[in-house]
Amino acid sequence: MKMALFKSFFARQMLSTHQAVLSTIRTQSSNLKPDPDAPVEMENPFKKELKQCILCKLNIDPDYKNYRLLSQFQSPYTGRIYPRHITGLCKRKQMQVEQEITKAQDLAYMPYTYKHKIFLKDPKLFDPENPVRSHRF
Amino acid sequence: MPTYELALLLRNMPKPELKTSLKRISHAIFDCGGIIRNIENLGFRPMPYKSTAHGMTHKEANYFIFKIDTPTKAVIDLKEEYKRDVDIVRQRFFKIKEEERKACTLEEELLPPAYREDVQKMIQIGKTQVNRFTYKFKYNSGLDYYPFQK
Repeated sequence: MKMALFKSFFARQMLSTHQAVLSTIRTQSSNLKPDPDAPVEMENPFKKELKQCILCKLNIDPDYKNYRLLSQFQSPYTGRIYPRHITGLCKRKQMQVEQEITKAQDLAYMPYTYKHKIFLKDPKLFDPENPVRSHRF
Repeated sequence: MPTYELALLLRNMPKPELKTSLKRISHAIFDCGGIIRNIENLGFRPMPYKSTAHGMTHKEANYFIFKIDTPTKAVIDLKEEYKRDVDIVRQRFFKIKEEERKACTLEEELLPPAYREDVQKMIQIGKTQVNRFTYKFKYNSGLDYYPFQK
């Protein structure tokens, strides 16, 4: 009984391979008719959008003259600049913001140890109160 | 001639005096072969902190921004001249650079450390370094037993 089953299994295998060979020969010969069911080459339509930091997304260049924007990255309690893990900016923009804030502070546009009273109610770009790890700001 | 931004703070003084001091500043720029593109007046504002200049403390000042083109060698001379000027509380020169637009790298920075390029580079550099931190006992140093607890 077992031998009979084994022979039939083998025979089926041979038939399937023979059919595959035939199908390949057939496609090579008939190139004029493209298969409508074949996959179309295109960009991945389910690609996720690249995450961008808020300044890169809106194409904003931080400037020392725009001290209101820079004050949004300053702590209202200590006047210190929030680091990258709190602001959520990319490395380049964070460096630019820090440089411009120091410029503005040096030029007496922005204070060092506190935040301007009039800017305290500005919209928050990030949440410094719920930190990933404890901070001294 | 490269473009510079000259940010000035002028002390609290009446308008005719302010006018003469601005004229003096502009003439200094023209004398060293420069041009003025733009003068912006940001107004008479209280300063966030008081500062002393030429023996006087200032709590408010007139904020001005000059956009100028001067030869590079003249910048130091201008700085020195304005340092001696009594009416100028603070002056800073900034070179205007055209920022090149580069893609945001936030996505790469938020990856776990094993997938970040800079961390991978550090690991590769570490492999080339000589390891001076782990001590390995030499078996051929004369002792006929292993002295430590295995």
